[in-house]
Amino acid sequence: MIKNLILMNGYGIFVWSSFLITFLVCGAFYYKTRRTLKKYEKDFAKEIKELSAEKKKLALENSEIASKVLSSFNKTI
Amino acid sequence: MLNFFYNSNLFNWIEKLIKFINSIFFVLLLISLSFALIFSPPDYLQGDSVRIMYVHVPSSWIGLASFTFLAISSILSFIFKIKNLKLIIKSIAPIGLMFTCISIVTGSIWGRPTWGTFWVWDARLTSMLILALFYIIIIAIHKYIYDEEKANKISSIIASVGLINIPIIKYSVEWWSTLHQPASIKIMGNTTIHSSMLMPLLLMFFVLILYCALIFLMKYKTEIIRIKKKNLKRL
Repeated sequence: MIKNLILMNGYGIFVWSSFLITFLVCGAFYYKTRRTLKKYEKDFAKEIKELSAEKKKLALENSEIASKVLSSFNKTI
Repeated sequence: MLNFFYNSNLFNWIEKLIKFINSIFFVLLLISLSFALIFSPPDYLQGDSVRIMYVHVPSSWIGLASFTFLAISSILSFIFKIKNLKLIIKSIAPIGLMFTCISIVTGSIWGRPTWGTFWVWDARLTSMLILALFYIIIIAIHKYIYDEEKANKISSIIASVGLINIPIIKYSVEWWSTLHQPASIKIMGNTTIHSSMLMPLLLMFFVLILYCALIFLMKYKTEIIRIKKKNLKRL
Protein backbone atom coordinates (compact mmCIF):
# COMPACT_ATOMS: atom_id res chain seq x y z
CA MET A 1 0.00 0.00 0.00
CA ILE A 2 2.82 2.41 0.91
CA LYS A 3 4.62 1.48 -2.31
CA ASN A 4 1.45 2.27 -4.28
CA LEU A 5 1.11 5.57 -2.45
CA ILE A 6 4.68 6.53 -3.34
CA LEU A 7 4.69 5.30 -6.94
CA MET A 8 1.06 6.21 -7.81
CA ASN A 9 1.14 3.98 -10.92
CA GLY A 10 4.11 5.81 -12.38
CA TYR A 11 2.76 9.32 -11.67
CA GLY A 12 4.36 9.57 -8.21
CA ILE A 13 7.23 11.80 -9.32
CA PHE A 14 4.79 14.35 -10.80
CA VAL A 15 2.26 14.26 -7.95
CA TRP A 16 4.77 14.31 -5.08
CA SER A 17 6.93 17.01 -6.68
CA SER A 18 3.83 19.22 -7.15
CA PHE A 19 2.76 18.84 -3.52
CA LEU A 20 6.32 19.22 -2.26
CA ILE A 21 6.94 22.42 -4.23
CA THR A 22 3.61 23.89 -3.12
CA PHE A 23 4.08 23.23 0.58
CA LEU A 24 7.79 24.06 0.64
CA VAL A 25 7.11 27.42 -0.99
CA CYS A 26 4.16 28.06 1.36
CA GLY A 27 6.27 27.06 4.38
CA ALA A 28 9.18 29.29 3.36
CA PHE A 29 6.81 32.21 2.72
CA TYR A 30 5.16 31.72 6.13
CA TYR A 31 8.57 31.62 7.84
CA LYS A 32 9.74 34.78 6.06
CA THR A 33 6.52 36.69 6.81
CA ARG A 34 6.57 35.67 10.47
CA ARG A 35 10.26 36.59 10.82
CA THR A 36 9.64 40.03 9.30
CA LEU A 37 6.69 40.62 11.65
CA LYS A 38 8.73 39.60 14.71
CA LYS A 39 11.61 41.82 13.58
CA TYR A 40 9.30 44.83 13.23
CA GLU A 41 7.71 44.12 16.64
CA LYS A 42 11.14 43.85 18.24
CA ASP A 43 12.45 47.05 16.60
CA PHE A 44 9.27 48.94 17.51
CA ALA A 45 9.40 47.81 21.15
CA LYS A 46 13.10 48.72 21.30
CA GLU A 47 12.41 52.20 19.93
CA ILE A 48 9.68 52.77 22.54
CA LYS A 49 12.02 51.65 25.31
CA GLU A 50 14.73 54.01 24.13
CA LEU A 51 12.39 57.04 24.26
CA SER A 52 12.63 59.51 27.14
CA ALA A 53 10.16 58.87 29.97
CA GLU A 54 7.93 61.73 28.88
CA LYS A 55 7.81 60.70 25.22
CA LYS A 56 7.35 57.06 26.18
CA LYS A 57 4.33 57.96 28.34
CA LEU A 58 2.90 60.02 25.50
CA ALA A 59 3.40 57.23 22.96
CA LEU A 60 1.84 54.57 25.18
CA GLU A 61 -1.12 56.78 26.10
CA ASN A 62 -1.84 57.74 22.52
CA SER A 63 -1.35 54.37 20.91
CA GLU A 64 -3.01 51.18 22.08
CA ILE A 65 -0.96 49.30 19.50
CA ALA A 66 2.31 50.62 20.92
CA SER A 67 1.45 49.40 24.43
CA LYS A 68 0.29 46.04 23.05
CA VAL A 69 3.47 45.46 21.07
CA LEU A 70 5.59 46.51 24.05
CA SER A 71 3.76 44.19 26.45
CA SER A 72 3.89 41.21 24.06
CA PHE A 73 7.60 41.89 23.48
CA ASN A 74 8.21 41.98 27.24
CA LYS A 75 6.47 38.60 27.57
CA THR A 76 8.76 36.98 24.99
CA ILE A 77 12.04 38.13 26.59
CA MET B 1 -19.52 50.21 13.43
CA LEU B 2 -16.85 52.52 12.00
CA ASN B 3 -14.85 52.07 15.22
CA PHE B 4 -14.02 48.58 13.98
CA PHE B 5 -11.89 50.03 11.18
CA TYR B 6 -9.61 51.96 13.54
CA ASN B 7 -6.17 50.40 13.45
CA SER B 8 -6.12 49.61 17.18
CA ASN B 9 -9.41 47.65 16.94
CA LEU B 10 -8.27 45.93 13.77
CA PHE B 11 -4.98 45.09 15.51
CA ASN B 12 -6.88 43.31 18.33
CA TRP B 13 -8.95 41.32 15.84
CA ILE B 14 -5.90 40.44 13.76
CA GLU B 15 -4.16 38.97 16.82
CA LYS B 16 -7.24 36.90 17.73
CA LEU B 17 -7.70 35.67 14.16
CA ILE B 18 -4.02 34.70 13.78
CA LYS B 19 -4.25 32.63 16.97
CA PHE B 20 -7.51 30.99 15.84
CA ILE B 21 -6.22 30.07 12.37
CA ASN B 22 -2.96 28.75 13.82
CA SER B 23 -4.93 26.49 16.17
CA ILE B 24 -7.03 24.78 13.46
CA PHE B 25 -4.76 25.01 10.42
CA PHE B 26 -2.58 21.89 10.77
CA VAL B 27 -5.48 19.57 11.58
CA LEU B 28 -7.37 20.77 8.50
CA LEU B 29 -4.22 20.53 6.39
CA LEU B 30 -3.66 16.91 7.42
CA ILE B 31 -7.29 16.00 6.65
CA SER B 32 -7.21 17.69 3.24
CA LEU B 33 -3.86 16.08 2.35
CA SER B 34 -5.20 12.64 3.31
CA PHE B 35 -8.19 13.12 1.02
CA ALA B 36 -6.10 14.54 -1.82
CA LEU B 37 -3.36 11.90 -1.74
CA ILE B 38 -5.07 8.76 -0.38
CA PHE B 39 -8.87 8.73 -0.22
CA SER B 40 -9.86 10.45 -3.47
CA PRO B 41 -10.12 8.11 -6.47
CA PRO B 42 -7.81 8.23 -9.52
CA ASP B 43 -9.28 9.63 -12.74
CA TYR B 44 -10.46 7.06 -15.35
CA LEU B 45 -8.36 8.77 -18.03
CA GLN B 46 -5.53 10.60 -16.25
CA GLY B 47 -5.01 8.08 -13.46
CA ASP B 48 -3.26 9.29 -10.30
CA SER B 49 -1.81 12.37 -12.03
CA VAL B 50 -5.21 14.01 -11.45
CA ARG B 51 -4.16 14.49 -7.79
CA ILE B 52 -2.05 17.47 -8.93
CA MET B 53 -5.42 19.19 -9.44
CA TYR B 54 -5.79 19.51 -5.65
CA VAL B 55 -2.94 22.02 -5.49
CA HIS B 56 -3.05 23.41 -9.03
CA VAL B 57 -6.71 24.46 -9.22
CA PRO B 58 -7.01 26.18 -5.78
CA SER B 59 -3.71 28.01 -6.48
CA SER B 60 -5.10 29.30 -9.78
CA TRP B 61 -8.36 30.40 -8.15
CA ILE B 62 -6.45 32.25 -5.41
CA GLY B 63 -4.09 33.87 -7.95
CA LEU B 64 -7.04 35.14 -10.02
CA ALA B 65 -9.22 36.18 -7.07
CA SER B 66 -6.32 38.03 -5.39
CA PHE B 67 -5.62 40.06 -8.51
CA THR B 68 -9.30 40.92 -9.02
CA PHE B 69 -9.52 42.06 -5.40
CA LEU B 70 -6.21 43.93 -5.66
CA ALA B 71 -7.23 45.74 -8.86
CA ILE B 72 -10.65 46.78 -7.50
CA SER B 73 -9.02 47.93 -4.23
CA SER B 74 -6.39 49.90 -6.20
CA ILE B 75 -9.07 51.71 -8.18
CA LEU B 76 -11.13 52.44 -5.03
CA SER B 77 -8.01 53.55 -3.16
CA PHE B 78 -7.08 55.89 -6.01
CA ILE B 79 -10.58 57.43 -6.15
CA PHE B 80 -11.47 57.61 -2.44
CA LYS B 81 -7.93 57.78 -0.94
CA ILE B 82 -8.67 55.12 1.68
CA LYS B 83 -5.45 54.46 3.61
CA ASN B 84 -6.38 50.94 4.76
CA LEU B 85 -6.88 49.83 1.16
CA LYS B 86 -3.27 50.74 0.40
CA LEU B 87 -2.14 48.45 3.21
CA ILE B 88 -4.41 45.69 1.90
CA ILE B 89 -2.96 46.02 -1.62
CA LYS B 90 0.62 45.84 -0.32
CA SER B 91 -0.22 42.79 1.81
CA ILE B 92 -2.17 40.85 -0.80
CA ALA B 93 0.11 41.24 -3.86
CA PRO B 94 2.91 38.86 -2.72
CA ILE B 95 0.32 36.19 -1.78
CA GLY B 96 -1.29 36.44 -5.23
CA LEU B 97 2.10 36.25 -6.95
CA MET B 98 3.13 33.19 -4.96
CA PHE B 99 -0.07 31.27 -5.81
CA THR B 100 0.08 32.31 -9.48
CA CYS B 101 3.63 30.94 -9.64
CA ILE B 102 2.57 27.73 -7.85
CA SER B 103 -0.27 27.38 -10.34
CA ILE B 104 2.11 27.80 -13.31
CA VAL B 105 4.72 25.37 -11.92
CA THR B 106 2.25 22.64 -10.84
CA GLY B 107 0.39 23.09 -14.14
CA SER B 108 3.66 22.55 -15.97
CA ILE B 109 4.37 19.40 -13.97
CA TRP B 110 0.83 18.14 -14.68
CA GLY B 111 1.30 18.96 -18.38
CA ARG B 112 4.25 16.53 -18.74
CA PRO B 113 2.25 13.27 -18.21
CA THR B 114 -0.99 14.55 -19.81
CA TRP B 115 0.20 16.63 -22.79
CA GLY B 116 3.72 15.22 -23.11
CA THR B 117 5.35 18.62 -22.53
CA PHE B 118 6.03 20.97 -19.61
CA TRP B 119 5.15 24.13 -21.52
CA VAL B 120 3.28 25.33 -24.58
CA TRP B 121 2.59 28.94 -25.50
CA ASP B 122 -1.17 28.46 -25.51
CA ALA B 123 -3.66 31.12 -24.43
CA ARG B 124 -4.28 29.91 -20.85
CA LEU B 125 -0.63 29.36 -19.93
CA THR B 126 0.55 32.58 -21.54
CA SER B 127 -2.19 34.68 -19.93
CA MET B 128 -1.32 33.19 -16.51
CA LEU B 129 2.33 34.13 -17.09
CA ILE B 130 1.21 37.68 -17.95
CA LEU B 131 -0.76 37.76 -14.66
CA ALA B 132 2.43 36.86 -12.76
CA LEU B 133 4.23 39.71 -14.57
CA PHE B 134 1.51 42.18 -13.51
CA TYR B 135 1.96 41.07 -9.90
CA ILE B 136 5.74 41.51 -10.16
CA ILE B 137 5.34 45.03 -11.62
CA ILE B 138 2.90 46.08 -8.85
CA ILE B 139 5.16 44.71 -6.08
CA ALA B 140 8.20 46.41 -7.66
CA ILE B 141 6.33 49.75 -7.85
CA HIS B 142 5.51 49.67 -4.13
CA LYS B 143 9.03 48.57 -3.26
CA TYR B 144 11.10 50.96 -5.37
CA ILE B 145 8.97 54.10 -5.66
CA TYR B 146 9.31 55.85 -2.30
CA ASP B 147 6.73 58.57 -2.99
CA GLU B 148 3.59 56.69 -1.80
CA GLU B 149 1.15 58.90 -3.70
CA LYS B 150 3.01 58.35 -6.95
CA ALA B 151 3.38 54.60 -6.30
CA ASN B 152 -0.37 54.26 -5.68
CA LYS B 153 -1.23 56.20 -8.80
CA ILE B 154 1.03 54.08 -11.04
CA SER B 155 0.01 50.77 -9.45
CA SER B 156 -3.70 51.66 -9.84
CA ILE B 157 -3.17 52.21 -13.56
CA ILE B 158 -1.19 48.97 -13.92
CA ALA B 159 -3.79 47.04 -11.89
CA SER B 160 -6.64 48.43 -14.02
CA VAL B 161 -4.85 47.32 -17.18
CA GLY B 162 -4.15 43.93 -15.57
CA LEU B 163 -7.82 43.51 -14.73
CA ILE B 164 -8.50 43.10 -18.47
CA ASN B 165 -6.36 39.95 -18.34
CA ILE B 166 -8.68 38.23 -15.81
CA PRO B 167 -11.60 37.47 -18.19
CA ILE B 168 -9.01 36.59 -20.85
CA ILE B 169 -7.57 33.91 -18.52
CA LYS B 170 -11.05 32.68 -17.59
CA TYR B 171 -12.41 32.39 -21.14
CA SER B 172 -9.15 31.62 -22.97
CA VAL B 173 -10.03 27.92 -23.07
CA GLU B 174 -13.35 28.72 -24.77
CA TRP B 175 -12.24 31.53 -27.11
CA TRP B 176 -9.16 29.78 -28.49
CA SER B 177 -8.16 26.21 -29.22
CA THR B 178 -5.88 25.32 -26.29
CA LEU B 179 -4.24 22.25 -24.81
CA HIS B 180 -5.66 23.27 -21.43
CA GLN B 181 -9.00 21.63 -20.66
CA PRO B 182 -12.15 23.77 -20.17
CA ALA B 183 -13.37 24.48 -16.62
CA SER B 184 -15.02 21.51 -14.87
CA ILE B 185 -16.39 23.61 -12.01
CA LYS B 186 -18.77 26.43 -12.80
CA ILE B 187 -20.51 28.80 -10.40
CA MET B 188 -23.32 29.20 -12.91
CA GLY B 189 -23.85 26.04 -14.93
CA ASN B 190 -23.24 22.32 -14.61
CA THR B 191 -20.22 21.13 -12.64
CA THR B 192 -18.83 18.08 -14.42
CA ILE B 193 -16.53 16.86 -11.66
CA HIS B 194 -17.62 13.93 -9.45
CA SER B 195 -18.37 14.69 -5.80
CA SER B 196 -15.63 12.25 -4.66
CA MET B 197 -13.11 14.65 -6.26
CA LEU B 198 -15.01 17.90 -5.73
CA MET B 199 -15.11 17.52 -1.94
CA PRO B 200 -11.30 17.13 -1.46
CA LEU B 201 -10.76 19.95 -3.95
CA LEU B 202 -13.00 22.34 -2.01
CA LEU B 203 -11.43 21.22 1.26
CA MET B 204 -7.92 21.95 -0.05
CA PHE B 205 -9.17 25.30 -1.36
CA PHE B 206 -10.51 26.13 2.10
CA VAL B 207 -7.18 25.19 3.73
CA LEU B 208 -5.22 27.34 1.27
CA ILE B 209 -7.65 30.23 1.84
CA LEU B 210 -6.98 29.91 5.58
CA TYR B 211 -3.25 29.97 4.83
CA CYS B 212 -3.72 33.13 2.71
CA ALA B 213 -5.71 34.74 5.52
CA LEU B 214 -2.92 33.92 7.97
CA ILE B 215 -0.22 35.41 5.75
CA PHE B 216 -2.39 38.40 4.90
CA LEU B 217 -3.07 39.15 8.59
CA MET B 218 0.62 38.88 9.49
CA LYS B 219 1.59 41.17 6.60
CA TYR B 220 -1.17 43.64 7.48
CA LYS B 221 -0.03 43.67 11.11
CA THR B 222 3.55 44.32 9.92
CA GLU B 223 2.32 47.27 7.84
CA ILE B 224 0.42 48.76 10.82
CA ILE B 225 3.54 48.47 13.02
CA ARG B 226 5.62 50.05 10.23
CA ILE B 227 3.27 53.08 10.20
CA LYS B 228 3.31 53.31 14.00
CA LYS B 229 7.10 53.15 13.92
CA LYS B 230 7.15 56.08 11.48
CA ASN B 231 4.80 58.03 13.77
CA LEU B 232 7.06 57.35 16.74
CA LYS B 233 9.88 59.21 15.02
CA ARG B 234 7.69 62.32 14.81
CA LEU B 235 7.35 62.53 18.62
